[in-house]
Amino acid sequence: MLDYDQSMLDYLGIKDFEGLFSDISPKIRKKKLNLDSHRPEYKLVQEATSLSESNRFDDYSNFLGCGVYDRIIPSSVDSIVSRSEFLTSYTPYQAEISQGMLQSLFEYQSIISDLLGMDASNSSMYDGPTALGEAARMAVRVNDRKTILIPDNIYRNKRNILINYCSGLDIRFKEYSFDMKTGMLDLGDLESKIDEDVSAVIVENPNSYGIVDENVLKVKDHIKDSLLISYVDPISLGALKPPGDYGSDIAVAEGQQLGIHQNYGGPYLGIFTYRKELARKSPGRLIGETTDTTGRRGYVMTLQTREQHIRREKATSNICTNQALMGVAALAYLATVGPSGLRRIALATMHHSVKLKQIVSDNRKIRVNVFSGTSFSDIPVIIESEEERLHRLLRDNKIFGGIKLDRIMENRYDKLKNAFFFSTTEKTEDSDLLKLKHALEAV
Amino acid sequence: MSFRQARYDEPFIKDLQSRTTFETISEDYDDSIVPSSMLNRAPKIPEIAEFDVVRHFTRLSQMNYSVDTGFYPLGSCTMKFNPKYADKIASMPFFSEIHPLRPEWSVQGTLQVMFELQEYLKEISDMDEVSLQPLAGAQGELTGVLIIRKYFELKKELSTRREIVVPDSAHGTNPASAAMGGFNVVEIPSNDKGTVDLDALRYAVTDKTAAFMITNPNTLGIFDPNIVEIAEIVHSKGALLYYDGANLNAILGITSPGLMGFDVVHFNLHKTFATPHGGGGPGAAPVAVNKKLADLLPGPIVRKGNNGYYLDRSNSKLGNIASFYGSFGVLLRAWSYIKRNGSDGLKMNSYRAVLNANYLAKKISKDVRISHPGLKKHEIVASSEESGKRALDIAKYIIDAGLHAPTIYFPLIVKEALMIEPTETVTKKDLDDFAELIHKAVSSTQEELSTHPVNTASGRLDEVKATRELVLKR
Repeated sequence: MLDYDQSMLDYLGIKDFEGLFSDISPKIRKKKLNLDSHRPEYKLVQEATSLSESNRFDDYSNFLGCGVYDRIIPSSVDSIVSRSEFLTSYTPYQAEISQGMLQSLFEYQSIISDLLGMDASNSSMYDGPTALGEAARMAVRVNDRKTILIPDNIYRNKRNILINYCSGLDIRFKEYSFDMKTGMLDLGDLESKIDEDVSAVIVENPNSYGIVDENVLKVKDHIKDSLLISYVDPISLGALKPPGDYGSDIAVAEGQQLGIHQNYGGPYLGIFTYRKELARKSPGRLIGETTDTTGRRGYVMTLQTREQHIRREKATSNICTNQALMGVAALAYLATVGPSGLRRIALATMHHSVKLKQIVSDNRKIRVNVFSGTSFSDIPVIIESEEERLHRLLRDNKIFGGIKLDRIMENRYDKLKNAFFFSTTEKTEDSDLLKLKHALEAV
Repeated sequence: MSFRQARYDEPFIKDLQSRTTFETISEDYDDSIVPSSMLNRAPKIPEIAEFDVVRHFTRLSQMNYSVDTGFYPLGSCTMKFNPKYADKIASMPFFSEIHPLRPEWSVQGTLQVMFELQEYLKEISDMDEVSLQPLAGAQGELTGVLIIRKYFELKKELSTRREIVVPDSAHGTNPASAAMGGFNVVEIPSNDKGTVDLDALRYAVTDKTAAFMITNPNTLGIFDPNIVEIAEIVHSKGALLYYDGANLNAILGITSPGLMGFDVVHFNLHKTFATPHGGGGPGAAPVAVNKKLADLLPGPIVRKGNNGYYLDRSNSKLGNIASFYGSFGVLLRAWSYIKRNGSDGLKMNSYRAVLNANYLAKKISKDVRISHPGLKKHEIVASSEESGKRALDIAKYIIDAGLHAPTIYFPLIVKEALMIEPTETVTKKDLDDFAELIHKAVSSTQEELSTHPVNTASGRLDEVKATRELVLKR
C-alpha cells in the first residue's frame, strides 16, 4: 500500500481494497490470477533482449516484399514519433490543448492528398487492406449498387478482408483477369463485366504481379459510371503517376513504406483518399481548419456526425482508434526525403529490379522475365522446384525471399504455378544480388 | 499550478522555406525505365531540410498535451502512464525490423512473445482461445460480430437471427460494429440504477437475437450485479454474449468475462495494458472466445510444437480481418507490461484505479451530481446540469489550468455529462487538485467560464465554421 491508500479508503469509509469490490458476487470472483509475479525492469529488459536476439539474422540478404518493405528510415522519423507529447496523447478531443497533433494530422491529410493526386484524405486507417475494405463499403454507400469488381490476382489477405468488411452488405465480388503476356489487367475482360450493377472497380498499381500496370490509365474510360478505387504503392509515386491522374474516385494505400518499421506485421498505416464531394460518405476521422475566438488559425476534428460516437449504428464506419502516430511518421518521412529523395528511392527500387532480372537471366533453370510489363519491386520468378527445397537452398545461402505466388494469392494461370517472389528496395545491394544468383544456380 | 502551453505561430508545413537535405541515396537514376505513359517527373511533396522538419515537429509537439505532461482523466480511455521500458523493448531492432513473411524458424523470439501474450490473455479473461489479429477496439468488435455471424451461419440460423441488442449506455462503436456486420441494432434502456433493465432485456432478447453486447463495468462505471442472470437470459434464447473490454482495467484479477459467462471478448491493449495511444492510434484488440467459437477466430494462432513456435493457420472459416498477425509493436508492449507487473502488480493496479475513481467521486460530489450514486469501478460520470454550467465550459476551464478534461457529453443518457477515469497512475494530490478545479469551475460565473481557454496553444475554436467551410487540406 502507498502511504495515502489507507487515508483514501478511510475517507470512503471502506476497510480495505477488497471492500471496493463488494458489488461483485463471490460466485464470479477470480480465485487466483495465475501469472508470474512481477519482475524488476532490468530483468524484463534482459529477457526481452535475449528473445529479440534469437530473431537475429542480420547477415541474411533480404528479398522479402509483397506489400511490406525494408526501406531506409531517416532517424529523424523515429525521433519525431518518439516525442512523448505525440506518443502518449489520446485522440485530440480537446482541440485547444492538442493543436500539435491536429496540425500534424491536417498536414498529413494535405501532403497525402497531394502525393496521391486526390482532393482529400482522412487522418488514417488501420492498414492498406482494411482501408480497401472501407473503400468498397464507401462506394456502395455512394451509388447503392451491388457488385464490386476485383482483380483475380488480388492477395488472399486483401480478398478476405474485403469479404469480411462487406459481409454485412448484400453485395457480390466479381473478378476480372490479367493478360498473361504483359502481366497487366485485361481491359477487354474488365469491360465485359461492367453493367449497371457495378458499384466500383478495384485496380492496383503496381499490381499483385509487381507490374507497373499501364492499363490502369485507361480503366476510367471503360467502366461507365462505376467508381474507380485504386490501391497504390506510395513509394512508387516517386516515379509513377498518382491515382488522381487516372480518374480515381477513391484511392487507398498501405503506408508502411513511409518511414514505418516492419514490426512483423504492424502497426502500419491505412491511407484513404477520395474526391472531395464524397467527404460526407467517407469513414474515419477528419481534421478541418478553422479559427479561434481571436481569429488565429487552428484545427479541429470535423464532420464528426458521420462517426460512431455520434451516429452509432448509422455511422459510416465503426472506426474509432486509428493510426494517428503512423500518419505523423509518414508525414515526417515524406517531409524529410522530399520530392527528389522519393523519386530516387522509387527509381533505385526499379533499377534494382532490372538488375536482379539481368543478373540471374543466364540461369537456364529459372525464368525471370515472366511478363513483358515493367516490374516495380516484386518480381515473380519461375523456379521448377519444390517450395521446401527452394527454401532450404535459400536458407543455406543466407537469403530471405522466394514467397510462393500461390501462398499469397489464388492462382488462375498455369504459367505461374511455380512462381516465387523476390523483391527489391533501394537498399538492395550488388552483393545481395550476387548471393541470390549463386544460390539459384544450385536449383 | 500556473500553466501556459507553448504557442508558436508555427507555419503550415508547405510554407517552411528550405531545401531538402536528405542524401542517403546520392545516385541519380535515370527514369527511362519507367513506361512513358506512367512517368511522373515530380512527386508533389514539399522541399524541407531535415533540421527544419525536426524543429517543426518539435514545436508542434510542444503544443500537444499528453499523459507524460499530466493528469489525463478521459473517461473510457484509460489514459494511464505508458511505461518507458515498453518503448525500449518495442524499439529493439530484432523485434522492429522483422518482415512479416520471414520464415517461422527465424522469428522464434517474436513468436514466443505472441504465444505468451495469448496465454496471459486467456488466463486474465478465463476464455479458451485468443486471436491477436484485430488492430483496435472497434475492429475487435467487428471481429466478434463476424464470429457471431459465422457461428449462426454455420448453424443455419443467420436468416432469423438478425438482431444485436445493446444498452443505451453502450460505447458508440458497439452499435456501429453490429451494423457493419449486417445486424439490426436493438437498443434497450438502462434502469434507474444505471444497469441493464432485466425486464427490458427479457423483452428484447428473442429467437431473432444473435447477441447482446455489453461492457461490465459499464460506461457509468457501475458493475452490473445481475451479470450472471443476464448471461442466462441471453443464452436461454440461444444468443451469444459479447464483452466490450474497454473497461477491463477495473476488474483485472478480480473477476473475468469468462467467469461472468461471456462468449466473445475483446481487449483494448492500449487501455488496460498501458500501450501508448499515439494521438489517436495505434491500438490493438485481441479477441478471445470460448470453446464453441474457437475455430471461428481469424488469423493464425501461435502454437508451441516440438520444433519451436509456429503459426497455426487451420482456422480458416473467417479468414483474416487484418493482413498479418496484429499490431506486433503494440502486442510486444502489452506483453512487457504484463510481465513487469505480474499477477500481484496487475491486481494492485485495478485496486488503485477503482480506489481513485471512488475517492474522486466523493470529492466532487458536493459540486456536481454523480450519476447513479453508489460504489463505482474504474470511472465515474458526473452531470453539471444542476450547477447550471455546461460540461463544455467546465472542460475548457480544466484544460486552461493545465490538466486534460474528462470525456464530455458521453454517455448520451446523462445530460451535461463529465465522464472521468483517473486510472491508477495518479496521486492523491492530482485527484485533490482536480476536485478543486471542478469546484472553482462550477463556482465561476457563466460569463467568466466562457472566456476559457486562454493559456493553451489556441483559444476556443470554431467547430461550426470548420464543418461549414470544410477545409481538409491546404
